[in-house]
Amino acid sequence: MPADPPTRALRIGVGGPVGTGKSSLIATLCRELAAVVELGVVTNDIYTDEDARFLRGQGVLPEARIEAVQTGCCPHTAIRDDISANLLAVEELERAQGPLEAVFVESGGDNLTAAFSPALADTQIFVLDCAGGDDVPRKGGPGIARADLLVINKTDLAPHVGASVERMLADARAQRGPRPVVAVSLRDGRSVAELTGWVLGELENWRAGTLVATDPGPPAPHAHTH
Amino acid sequence: MSAVLELLLADARTPSGGHAHSGGLEAALAAGLAVAEVPGFMRARLRTVGLVDAAFAALATRAGTLEELLALDFELAARTPAEPLRRAARTLGAGLLRTACAWWPQAEPLAGYAAESALTPRPVALGAVARAAGLSPLAAARLSLYDDAATVASAAVKLAALDAAVASGWVAALAAEIDELALSARAGGPPSTCAPLLDRRALVHARAERRLFAS
Repeated sequence: MPADPPTRALRIGVGGPVGTGKSSLIATLCRELAAVVELGVVTNDIYTDEDARFLRGQGVLPEARIEAVQTGCCPHTAIRDDISANLLAVEELERAQGPLEAVFVESGGDNLTAAFSPALADTQIFVLDCAGGDDVPRKGGPGIARADLLVINKTDLAPHVGASVERMLADARAQRGPRPVVAVSLRDGRSVAELTGWVLGELENWRAGTLVATDPGPPAPHAHTH
Repeated sequence: MSAVLELLLADARTPSGGHAHSGGLEAALAAGLAVAEVPGFMRARLRTVGLVDAAFAALATRAGTLEELLALDFELAARTPAEPLRRAARTLGAGLLRTACAWWPQAEPLAGYAAESALTPRPVALGAVARAAGLSPLAAARLSLYDDAATVASAAVKLAALDAAVASGWVAALAAEIDELALSARAGGPPSTCAPLLDRRALVHARAERRLFAS
């Protein structure tokens, strides 16, 4: 029996360390998808509404479709332990601007253990970048190992900072098994198409009622091999 | 009633979005309040807006019908002239209602209030939740006042160079006063004490470019 069609927007969490390009990635996704998908964005800045301003300034969505949430220095709490403010912001955005089909929830830049509660994000993207060090995928963590999509961003910078995209992809795949990883440069249309294709695929699953929120969960148990 | 439910509602680990609010402390420090003056700021809050909130929490605990709760929404909105503070109270109330309705989805008038109220100011929501928990109006008033003080103290640790042991000690030092205010808040009709500087600063804070806390 087919599942009932969803009555609310798909909520896509976008997390990852500070400066890996989460806002630019969302701006690009909005630019690519706004013509075919009714979109909204909720940003969680740590101590500014910089990200919301940036996105509004990009002109990729009507300003009223972008909402900023303050997190009182606790970006991790606001997406995991106490999602009240984010859920309310998404619901209000949908009520005021709806019906929307997908809402991106951008986490404030955090550490490698940050992961969205499945009660807030139906699916989640974890964003790393080449300039942050090509050893980061090897370090692992719930987002790297088990987010629905891992993005290795800013691949165009790799040669300038001595980073190996191949190494990052190989380390990420070793952590993630069959879960998808995409290497993205926002200047490379083909990689952007791969990214938008993933989002559209998740939206398709959501509409069909077959998307099941999976929890990246806590950091993997720490094992010592002696 | 269970005293444990009272503890659960006082516990900042119970999710309701409180971690993103400073009770006006961020704006006060930005306006020049000294760290040494924060205990006085906490006391001033308790005696003005804290007392009003506590009285509404007590009244809402007594309210047995949805209509009574919705009437309290408007009474409290009339005592909250600054729009950012009405918005903060609504967000915090909605966060608390979401959690409590997950515990007790069938409790009335709590469930009806969560569905019908457009304003959900935290004190009224807290009273509705306290009633569902079987708590007394006095307990609801005390919870409201305690939360008011604890919100400021916990935000102070993030906003100023301060040991959390000192900041939580400020709440401890106010314990007797909170008890007394709770007793007076549960008696009679709602007071209209106000703190115009809090309202004024809230308007400035809402437009501040760099802020950690929503209010």
